[in-house]
Amino acid sequence: MTDNDTHVRPDRDRPRSTDETVPDRPPTATGDARQRRTGHVHASADGDPASRLRTDGGAADSHRTDGGRTDVEREREIDYLDVEINLLNPATPFMRDHLRVIWIGFGVWALTTFGPITATAIAPDAMTTTLPVIGFPFHYFAIAIGGPTAALLLSVWYARRRDRIDEKYGIVQPSADAPPDAEPDAEPTTAVDGGVEP
Amino acid sequence: MSAVPTLLQADLLPEGLEIGFKIVPAVIVVGMMTLFLGVGFAFKVADTDDMWVAGRSIGNLENGMAIGANWMSAASYLGMAALIALSGVYGLAFVVGWTTGYFVLLIFMAAQMRRFGKYTAPDFVGDRFNSDTARALAAVTTFLIGFVYAIGQARGMGLVGMYILGDITQVVPIPGLDAYQAMMILFMLLTIGYLTLSGMLGATKNMALQYIILIGAFLVGLFATGWAAGYSTFVPQLQYGALITALGAEFSAPFAGGSYYLWIATCFSLVFGTCGLPHVLVRFYTVENERTARWSCAWGLFFISILYLSAPAFAAFGTSLYGDQVGAVYGDPGMSSAAADVIVVLAAQLANLPPWLVGFVAAGGIAAAIATVAGLFIAASSAISHDIYANIVNEDATQRQQVLVGRLSIVAIGLLTIVFALDPQQPIAALVSYAFSLAAIVLFPMFFLGLWWENTNRQGALAGMTTGLAVWFVPMLNEANFGILTTPEGQTAFVPFLETWMPAIGAALVGVPIVFAVTILVSAVTDEPPLRTKQMVRQCHSPEPMPKNTTAAEVVADRTGETPADD
Repeated sequence: MTDNDTHVRPDRDRPRSTDETVPDRPPTATGDARQRRTGHVHASADGDPASRLRTDGGAADSHRTDGGRTDVEREREIDYLDVEINLLNPATPFMRDHLRVIWIGFGVWALTTFGPITATAIAPDAMTTTLPVIGFPFHYFAIAIGGPTAALLLSVWYARRRDRIDEKYGIVQPSADAPPDAEPDAEPTTAVDGGVEP
Repeated sequence: MSAVPTLLQADLLPEGLEIGFKIVPAVIVVGMMTLFLGVGFAFKVADTDDMWVAGRSIGNLENGMAIGANWMSAASYLGMAALIALSGVYGLAFVVGWTTGYFVLLIFMAAQMRRFGKYTAPDFVGDRFNSDTARALAAVTTFLIGFVYAIGQARGMGLVGMYILGDITQVVPIPGLDAYQAMMILFMLLTIGYLTLSGMLGATKNMALQYIILIGAFLVGLFATGWAAGYSTFVPQLQYGALITALGAEFSAPFAGGSYYLWIATCFSLVFGTCGLPHVLVRFYTVENERTARWSCAWGLFFISILYLSAPAFAAFGTSLYGDQVGAVYGDPGMSSAAADVIVVLAAQLANLPPWLVGFVAAGGIAAAIATVAGLFIAASSAISHDIYANIVNEDATQRQQVLVGRLSIVAIGLLTIVFALDPQQPIAALVSYAFSLAAIVLFPMFFLGLWWENTNRQGALAGMTTGLAVWFVPMLNEANFGILTTPEGQTAFVPFLETWMPAIGAALVGVPIVFAVTILVSAVTDEPPLRTKQMVRQCHSPEPMPKNTTAAEVVADRTGETPADD
């Protein structure tokens, strides 16, 4: 990929955590990861106030205990490059919140998608009852109209829940109206490069 | 279901459909095609970056419509109503599968894919598993999907084209070609001509337009048909319910058109095929941020649902009108699959709508086919030019060479599609569902495991994809698809047992767990992937927004100062 727009990158001169450069290691070290947090300026952090909060420098290192801290505070100390992605055992507060929504949504989806036809196979008589007014046999209505509608409602539900999680963790998406690229002065330490992929 | 192979060279002639040249509908189609070509020319580009992902500058509403247009192929527009008319509740597996799959795509993959930041499925697979072989396998799969999918579209174009342009073999005799074949070739050539001229930027702009034309034509047709025939007034999507009991047990009895197992298998294939389809996934790279990727997925489902909630109503109206005016729908001979595949147009015609209105509905069917073939061929040609040619064959390829190879591969896949669509053995929806089985079996496990299990490694992916391709071919060959093999007399498959439990139309129910198991097992017994690969996966799940045009790999390289891993 080659792109020509100039965009802002986090500083490349900051001190790196030594762990990041060791070749490979067991991916279970999530507990240490939180303490190893070194306060990176993340890629997209340039320019927007919420993410500037994340440039917390070494401050995070002074909080080594989990006691009494909120999810948001703990989340800020996490470097995602150090945590294992696990569908069943989320390693970070954000992932926990997100996966909860994902699994609830998936469960409801499985019910609304495969439930009606399965119920029809189990109890054909009850399911084929004709509905009053609209005249549909119930199974037909539940499959043809219930299935797609449920998926649509679930999608809107998910997108909103995910927006709310973003809000909780102070995540602001870059937008075309105010692209991070447009504010080159936002971070004094930014480097500019052409973003050319090797 | 109606999966009965027809005889070789059987004339596909939808009974009841008025076949003949009609000037106003012809003008509508020609005008539409000219509009597409005109817009295509306006956005004609020579730069490969623009060609592949439209410069990544599209908002969620427009992207939602593009998803809708890309999605609503002849299979949705024509084929779904056909299966609902012929196979009743079994046909609803398509309605459910092709809509609800988007939710799974949304929660597990849309934003993560966007963060990974790769143009195409082969790029994703190649970079995630750090292997040119994996990339090539994904490219071949993408090409196969585009090809199998397009056969169904070609069938739809040929059948509907006959209503509009009639039997062109009577005007220009073409030896060896019947009316359907000549029409299908004509429309495929038009599509290929359009595609070779315009890159994806043009196609994307067109797709919002095509969605509007498409949904407009379908809904106007549905409302007018329901109104003229006296079935419905303002909400045909609900009012067809009152008609169902009168349509006979075949239309609504739970398992009259296919067993419970077949329903589940088909629906499962379609759902997870949705999540593995390259031409759907590429839509998430064209948006400005992850939130837009999520909401455009929701919008896409909304735009799709409008059609999917209406299709059963069209099927009900068409079935009723056919039964009144043409002959018995079910039993022997019953409605042919060719007539069923044009049931949407047929219903409008049988309701005595004026020819221009029926023509408008027919034109929508053709727009649906063109829009989808456009997306598929772009994905397939980019797989060839970008992933096989530029990455493996000629690493120093210039942009010019890449564009040339891309265009040549569009012509190649087009010709291949024409050859196999000369005598399509299945209805549109069934043909398309084979492509979904393939996407579900080969690509979905790679995407899902690749994004959610960081220990999935190169060996696992290679083993999984190879197994997947083999697993997909088994039921396809067993049921003698593609016309290469012929099944024994009186049988629709070589091994009836396999046909029952692993039907080609729903092969993913068995195939996906097999590929998951192989991939996980091989990954577990071989070396873990390098840290950098794992970090790429982790980066896909971080809540930190990523700027446009940045990939997870770049963020990782930038943060760790490492050059790309080379294990």
